[in-house]
Amino acid sequence: MAAIDLQGVTRQFGAKKAVNDISLSVPDGEFLVLLGPSGCGKSTLLRMLAGLESLSGGQILLDGRRIDQLPPSDRDMAFVFQSYALYPHMTVRRNITFPLIMRQHRWWFHVPGISHLAKRRIERSPAVRDLVDRTAAILALTPMMDQLPKTLSGGQRQRVALGRAMVRKPQVFLMDEPLSNLDAKLRTAMRAEIIKLHGAVGGTFVYVTHDQIEAMTMGSRIALMRDGVVQQFGTPREIYTNPVNTYVARFIGTPPMNLLRATADQGALRFGPLVLPFIRATAQAELLAGIRPSAIALTPAGEPGTVAGEVAMVEHIGAESLITVRMRDVRTGHEEDGGGGTEVMATEAGYSELRPGTPVGLRLDLSDAVLFSAGTGERLAA
Amino acid sequence: MSAAAAMAGRRGWTHGLRLLTVLLVLLGAGFPLYWMFVTSLTPSAALFAVPPHVWPSWSELGVYTEAFRTIPVGRWLRNSAVIAAGTTVLSIALAIFPAYALSRFQFRGAGLVGLGLFATQMLPEAMLVVPLYAIFGQFGLLNTLAGLILANTAFTVPVITWMLKGAIDGVPIDVEEAAKIDGCTRIGIVLSIVLPLVAPSLAAAAVISFFHGWNEYVLATTLISDEALRPASVGLASFVGELSTPVHSVMAVGLIYTVPAVVFYLFVQRYVVAGMTAGSVKG
Amino acid sequence: MTPGPAPDAGAERWTPYWFIAPLALYLLLFQGVPLVQEAGLSFTATSLLSPREHVFVGLDNYRNLLDGSDFHAVLATTAVYTVACVVLSILLGLGVALLLDAPFRGRGVARALVTVPWAAPPVAVALIFVWIFNAQYGVFNFVLRSVGFAAGRENWLDTPELALPAVLLTTIWQIFPFAAVVILAALQGVSAELKEAATIDGADRLSIFGAVVWPTIRPSVALLSLFLTIWSIRRFDLIWLMTQGGPIGATETLVIKLYRDGFVYRDLGQAAAVGMVGVVVALAVTAVYFHFTRRAERAAGA
Repeated sequence: MAAIDLQGVTRQFGAKKAVNDISLSVPDGEFLVLLGPSGCGKSTLLRMLAGLESLSGGQILLDGRRIDQLPPSDRDMAFVFQSYALYPHMTVRRNITFPLIMRQHRWWFHVPGISHLAKRRIERSPAVRDLVDRTAAILALTPMMDQLPKTLSGGQRQRVALGRAMVRKPQVFLMDEPLSNLDAKLRTAMRAEIIKLHGAVGGTFVYVTHDQIEAMTMGSRIALMRDGVVQQFGTPREIYTNPVNTYVARFIGTPPMNLLRATADQGALRFGPLVLPFIRATAQAELLAGIRPSAIALTPAGEPGTVAGEVAMVEHIGAESLITVRMRDVRTGHEEDGGGGTEVMATEAGYSELRPGTPVGLRLDLSDAVLFSAGTGERLAA
Repeated sequence: MSAAAAMAGRRGWTHGLRLLTVLLVLLGAGFPLYWMFVTSLTPSAALFAVPPHVWPSWSELGVYTEAFRTIPVGRWLRNSAVIAAGTTVLSIALAIFPAYALSRFQFRGAGLVGLGLFATQMLPEAMLVVPLYAIFGQFGLLNTLAGLILANTAFTVPVITWMLKGAIDGVPIDVEEAAKIDGCTRIGIVLSIVLPLVAPSLAAAAVISFFHGWNEYVLATTLISDEALRPASVGLASFVGELSTPVHSVMAVGLIYTVPAVVFYLFVQRYVVAGMTAGSVKG
Repeated sequence: MTPGPAPDAGAERWTPYWFIAPLALYLLLFQGVPLVQEAGLSFTATSLLSPREHVFVGLDNYRNLLDGSDFHAVLATTAVYTVACVVLSILLGLGVALLLDAPFRGRGVARALVTVPWAAPPVAVALIFVWIFNAQYGVFNFVLRSVGFAAGRENWLDTPELALPAVLLTTIWQIFPFAAVVILAALQGVSAELKEAATIDGADRLSIFGAVVWPTIRPSVALLSLFLTIWSIRRFDLIWLMTQGGPIGATETLVIKLYRDGFVYRDLGQAAAVGMVGVVVALAVTAVYFHFTRRAERAAGA
């Protein structure tokens, strides 16, 4: 059991709280993704798990054992850096073997002369050599074992970094945006590799990224963070279908959920002049209706039961088209527009023939809509 | 050391140990100059006392003005200043255009020039002073400040050139290209555009060449025998180890001679290091 | 760093050469010509008193050097002095640089103050250290005696076995700040992430130094060693002022012997021969340095 328990974990720099009182329980074998924009505290939290940053408050437990006072090498965790942090003057083989050598290192090894010999002996011992060779084979690194990191490509270096982590057989793998330095195509390939690795190796993975697609495809659980606080902690499906606040709603999904200002009115929702029946409407007067772009259909202008609007922009991405529509009598509650914008995004399959400036009607499908308080942004209980 | 351990160390004993060691190092680095100061302010009766005085006797400050009376300090310092200033002006004047050329142009022989500059660093002044003495004698340059300046410059200018080259390397080339399109001559570009942009390094180079000239001893002592032209380095050297001139006066003179060099160098040292480490990247 | 464009064909083809010409001429005149003259002088017997009259003596001056046993002593002294200076000042400089690398209050001031010895004029340094090493009144002996060392009674600069250590101490005091500053600058280039990775892998401080820090700063330290070595072979002022190469040649390095031969014994020809040997030694050292750096680069897969 390698369950991670964060209890009230806080990290303070002067007056600023980079990580603010975070409590999470991560079951064993989970692929936890820490997701969020730059500066939200996800990397800091990861480094606190590793022992590279100390805690200002709270504690961290691994398997029920308190580890936040332990030095990094005693926590049975491996860390993969964004820049891989491979030892540039060592071969791939030595890079992967290094943690194993350090494990058997004694203080007297520092006596000049003994150091080199002792390290060679450990490197050559059958147990170590075997483990390193097997790890390299899993990661397809065998042909380059005697090369230096600078001669390897980005993807290969990443695998060496993974190998160095794997060889320690840790209970927890910590990864700090390992795919950010790779180009898009390579990133997709490595995503699959890492998921496969998780399946093969077991153990708990904690993975930091700002890319919500990575989070959604790789994670078994996502913790979305903002300004040091966890906004929502759940499976990708939960987060997608039931975002807990408007921030989460707008962070996940490409394009993200639209938030239309509406008022509730006896089992119906009023969008400007348009009233639509909505069983789950609450008594709350001012609210934001979260409607996915796929739930907005575009009709010719003037059709009954639609919101009036005008096409602002059309983007064709191949399998579908993203259409930005400026609504006439309805406002949105998007933070980026200052809370009073009028633009929503709709998707249409295939290549849309719509042109900017065309008046259209928006037919809203409210079956999967999520309601949020206009004031606090919190989801309203359905 | 992990960040976590560093945090602990900040409040722990390793931090205290570090501070203590740094203090000891600074003490060692500063002691001789401090001792020079204390000795200059020790009353003559106590100069040869055992145990030696550790603290300066402020009442003895008069020794500084006294020294000017008995020792031709004023004349020495003036000569030193003239030599140093002359070396500075000549070195910088000679170094500017080659530094620019080495930085901006790729031409055949550039490597050779770089190598040549490096090679000059290997020749000891004490060796070249022998033929220089002979040559200067022939041309009547012995016993002249001008001659000494000419000789000093030869040893200073390679370092200055390298420093300025490094500084010019750091200036983006766009401004120059704009000026070229506007019809500026290359020389005009160097003088009115590039030079102002490397002003700090230029100032540092000036300070360094000044003190090369100020500190210089071998050439000065060999090429100049006229007492009236003697610089402070040679004058002071005549007191090293001899005890007939009051030690405190000598130390006072020594301190007056040393302080400008130390003070100015404090302002300038990071440019020197930058030049050195830049060169280490495949000099 | 912006490398310059190739000069436009025609108009500016000769510009770089014009720019360099004055300096090249100057150096040829004030260093090149004397060097050639020096070489020429070394094959003659010329007196300081009449420097224009030369008597050609072929290799006599050089033969004197090889025959005289004291020249071997001079070479040995030079070697000992140089190696001790370079090794000890780099070790000390490394230690100080590591000390000054971690953050602490007043670090900026400390970094600036530690360079003071390097800034002091050699003449002043010789002046104060000779006083410090004075047998009866010097504070060095006073401290030694207070702690109980009998060596506190010695006349350091006048005793053959002790003169070189005293001069070494003075020299290292002067040059270690330079080593410290250069190494400190090199330490800034060490990746913090790499050190963290090593920490996580279980490396202790010394292992981190060996696996991460040292490989990164090694090129800078190598170049530093080259400069320090050349400067040590060249160093004249401090040694001459403190001991003039004595007592009985205990501190007589190549350069000291050169000056002594030329200006004390007035034999310019002999001095020139010593000088040429010095140049050859310096060139040999540089060649060795470049050979080893090339080899290191090739091994690292450059």
